[in-house]
Amino acid sequence: MKRLRTKIMHSMQLRESWIIFFILGIIMMTFPFLHIFNKPILLFGVPLLFLYLTTGWIISIIVIYLFMIASHHENEIKEENIKP
Amino acid sequence: MNGTLSTVAVISVLYTTLIFLIAWYAHHRKESGRSIISNPVIYALSLGVYCTSWTYYGSVGKAATTGIDFLLIYLGPSLTAFSWLFLLRRIIKISKEHNITSIADFLSQRYGKSPWLGALVTIIAFLGIMPYIALQLKAVSTSFNLLSGMQTNPTAFIELESGTTIPTGLILALILALFSIIFGARRLVSSERHEGLIAAVAFESLVKLVALLVVGIFVTYGLFDGFIDIFERFKVADPERFSQLFTFNISKNDPNYISTFTLLFLSMGAIMLLPRQFHVMVIENSDERHISTAMWLFPAYLFLINIFVMPIAIGGILTTGSSSGADFFVLRLPQLAGYRSIALLAFLGGLSAAAGMVMVESIAISTMLLNHIFMPVIVRFTPRTWFPILLINLKRFGIVLVVMLGFFYYKIIGDSYTLVNMGLISFSAASQFMPAMLGGLYWKRGNKAGAISGILLGFMIWLYTLLLPSFSKSGWIPETLLSNGPFGIGLLKPTELFGLTGMDLWSHSLFWSMFFNISSYVICSILLTQNEQERDQVHKFIGIFGQDESHRRTERKRLSKPVTTDQFFTLMSKFIGESEAHKALNIYSSGQKITGEVTISEFDLPNLKRFTEKTLAGSVGGAAARAIVNNFLSDIGSSMEPVYDIFSTVRSNLDQNRESLFVRLKASEIINRTLDLQVIMDDLLKLLVKEFKLDVALIQAKNTEDVFSIRSIQWRDLSTTHQPECYQENIPFLDLAYRDQKAHFINDLRLDRTVTALDKTVAEGFISCAHIPIYREGEPVIAVLSLFSKSIAGLFTQEFIELLSSLAGQLAQAITIVQEIEAKQLERSQKETALLKTARITRDMEIAQQIQKSFLPDSAPVIAGVDIAGRCISAAHVGGDYYDFFLRNDLTVDIVIADVSGHSVGAALIMSEVRTLLRAETNSIRTPHAILETLNTQLYDDLTRAELFITMFYAKYDAATGILSYSNAGHNHPVLQRADESLCQELDTEGLILGVIKNVLFEEQAVKLVSGDILLFYTDGLTEACNGEGIMFNTSGVYSHLKTCSNLSAKEIIDSYYAMIHAFTGSQNLQDDISLVVVKIT
Repeated sequence: MKRLRTKIMHSMQLRESWIIFFILGIIMMTFPFLHIFNKPILLFGVPLLFLYLTTGWIISIIVIYLFMIASHHENEIKEENIKP
Repeated sequence: MNGTLSTVAVISVLYTTLIFLIAWYAHHRKESGRSIISNPVIYALSLGVYCTSWTYYGSVGKAATTGIDFLLIYLGPSLTAFSWLFLLRRIIKISKEHNITSIADFLSQRYGKSPWLGALVTIIAFLGIMPYIALQLKAVSTSFNLLSGMQTNPTAFIELESGTTIPTGLILALILALFSIIFGARRLVSSERHEGLIAAVAFESLVKLVALLVVGIFVTYGLFDGFIDIFERFKVADPERFSQLFTFNISKNDPNYISTFTLLFLSMGAIMLLPRQFHVMVIENSDERHISTAMWLFPAYLFLINIFVMPIAIGGILTTGSSSGADFFVLRLPQLAGYRSIALLAFLGGLSAAAGMVMVESIAISTMLLNHIFMPVIVRFTPRTWFPILLINLKRFGIVLVVMLGFFYYKIIGDSYTLVNMGLISFSAASQFMPAMLGGLYWKRGNKAGAISGILLGFMIWLYTLLLPSFSKSGWIPETLLSNGPFGIGLLKPTELFGLTGMDLWSHSLFWSMFFNISSYVICSILLTQNEQERDQVHKFIGIFGQDESHRRTERKRLSKPVTTDQFFTLMSKFIGESEAHKALNIYSSGQKITGEVTISEFDLPNLKRFTEKTLAGSVGGAAARAIVNNFLSDIGSSMEPVYDIFSTVRSNLDQNRESLFVRLKASEIINRTLDLQVIMDDLLKLLVKEFKLDVALIQAKNTEDVFSIRSIQWRDLSTTHQPECYQENIPFLDLAYRDQKAHFINDLRLDRTVTALDKTVAEGFISCAHIPIYREGEPVIAVLSLFSKSIAGLFTQEFIELLSSLAGQLAQAITIVQEIEAKQLERSQKETALLKTARITRDMEIAQQIQKSFLPDSAPVIAGVDIAGRCISAAHVGGDYYDFFLRNDLTVDIVIADVSGHSVGAALIMSEVRTLLRAETNSIRTPHAILETLNTQLYDDLTRAELFITMFYAKYDAATGILSYSNAGHNHPVLQRADESLCQELDTEGLILGVIKNVLFEEQAVKLVSGDILLFYTDGLTEACNGEGIMFNTSGVYSHLKTCSNLSAKEIIDSYYAMIHAFTGSQNLQDDISLVVVKIT
């Protein structure tokens, strides 16, 4: 578990992945994806589009949060490397 | 009814007081140095100022009328948050670096500190924000009326029972303006953070979140049975509206996503470009690291504040049966259910949302107004002492103006628009800054012309397609303009420009404004070039991340006339007050490690100028600060002029460019080519004159009389006559360079006449000169390199002086090496001469020795019955020992032995004099004592003069009688060894050493010698000879040896004595001269 976490964090430290997520976010908010979920139905009793947007929102917040932890982690490693 | 009104009023006042106290506390904490604001959570909360009463009331309104697309207004900022890591961080870094005060200032500074761009951005922001402020006032006054149960009318006047009316909106506007002034315009420095304001805003963000959550939970779980319940009941109750609200346009059977994208785009831009957002995000940011927390905390905040919007909207529709008045469902639902306390909380939340926004917005806009509208006018006047007061009051006036303009817009537009639509007009205006902003941050070619034309065009389209229709709906502008277009031209219809139909109002406006904005920005930027000021600023904005920030940027400008620190101080204090100016200068001097009193070097002056500009920019904005400083400089007759670029190419790597390296290389070639200093100096000067287009270069050094003399000189124009007087004038500089080992230079002789009178130099036509000491690190100055130019003022830049100093160092090294080599050669030749001299002296001494030896008798006289022998061995080349025999007749011989003190040549000369005198005397004088007396008298003067003495023993032996008569002048007593006695006898008489007193009487004695008697005369060298242990040979040694060799001949006795002495001393070399004379009676 810990190894997995370290691995994920390591791969997330790339600056490029920021931009990828940013672009991904915009893509998820444009025509094709929106069209998929743009239906007047209830899923688990919640309107589909409402569910899609709120879930996507939560995920994006979590992603940023993880990134922040990762970048702090990276900074700490850097600082440790500099100190000795 | 009246009671309700007063309750709401009292609670509003109490709440306002609470916010004020919080702000005051935060301010107080900051003053005492323990900021509560410097905290990432507070920072994220303060960003919540994005959620105004538009969010608070309007979201629900929009959710209930157009549906779920309200969420896009908040999803956009959440997406933008991804970019903050690099985008926002970069903006903050730049803003802190340049004391940026607002978004107008940012754009203006990026594009060459253009005052026009600043003013344009300000006007757009000012006009664009008007609907937004109006929206807040409308929301709060409506909610106030709703809560207090008053009937509202479009002008928001509350009619009391007595018939008097209370203009709620106006009162609210005034209160908010007052608040803004208290929190945001107490001091002038706008780049400074307003901790009280931020504390208030953050608290308000918290209140509105809590209030909306409480209302949401109340509606969702109180009135209904959770989310699912609401949604399912709604779908059952009104499936058509359900489809309309929970999809994008699907109900129209024409789902297009243009408006979706428009909302997303507008909100993505607005979160950073709205003046208030820029203010809280950038200007009020206390620590860059807060960004990373805000990046997820702020989207989370937006998520929380919106999660209950849909349920409240649906709940409202289900409860009231329609979506009319949906803007205030937040307030009305609790009210209808009879929960007045929740309604009151909801009202406070709305008040918070509106108040926070109006305060931050009005402060941000008033700062922009002051710096970009008022300041450009003010800077045209001469600064006065009351300027700081004027400026701060102008800023306060700006706040009131912003709020009041919003109020009037509200009065005009009234209720014709929903809250959301009013807000979107502002968003659309702010988005006009986006191309210039992003281009400014990442595109180096983006220039002022592009930014101004782009923003201006975009703004005009916005004005025409959005603001104008908003007025026309309220009846200000004839409807025909909208339906038929101006002058009936259909293509120019504001809502269907150029025939573009089928788009909603926002998308239509956004498309055309962005189209013209971006195209103009890009085309102008590509076609037109940037001026120098712009390039400078581009470098500061884009360059700072490309290279090491600590790398000192080499100055490319110089002040044509030096300005003192005091002058800058006076200038600053005129705008920001004396105490602030003092503070600022202290910061500068501690950073530069100079004290205010010390005159700063010419190279630092542009830095100080820039610092002054930056400090002023913190209060009046970059463009105005630049104008102020430039006016000031031109008033005192100084200006920034480009430094003569001595290294004409390569600007990018200023430290070591090609020209500089070339000169260094050439110089080292010259220095290493030869050891002839004159050639080195001449060639080096030639190189400097040629490469740097100097007119004269010379090297002067102090000669032994401490006067400067020219060692080498080179001219560019060989035909000019050479006027040494003008170099004489510069001698004070040379002296100075000798003393402080620093380069001294004057970059414009025509202006700088203060230090030394250089009339002749000026008359000669020189306009700049430099004197660089030639020395090695840690050693005294050897010479001074002087350079003169007739053509270029400002030739001596810091880098040029550094290069010259380094060349001077190389030259000093070469000089030292040459000098060392010369010194070694000199030493060697001196040694050789000395050796030669010594050899000559030695030879002379050897000759002297030979001569002196020849003074001594070659052989002893032969007299019957007497065996005489004598010998002298000297220790040095020449000595003072002397013995002689004078044969008077066949039977009479005079024997003399003497010792002149010392072994010098002087002693030898005296000895020869003695010999000469004796030879003369012995012919006339017969007796020994008489001879000594005469000799003493004759030698006295010479001996006294030479400070020498002589001991002498004079004996006369008559072989016929066997009588030896003798006199002694202090000499060692000769030893007489009788043939028949075992003891030795010493011969002595009374008498002084020769040369002590002029007239001395010498005693004469006589002794009769018989056959077998041996008489030994000796000098003190014999008795005083020492062995290795320091024991002297002594008289006893002389006596005892004499006994043992009585049977030997006189010559053999002498030989045995010498052998004895050599054996005794253990050395072949004598310590002193030893002379022995042996007389043996046979």
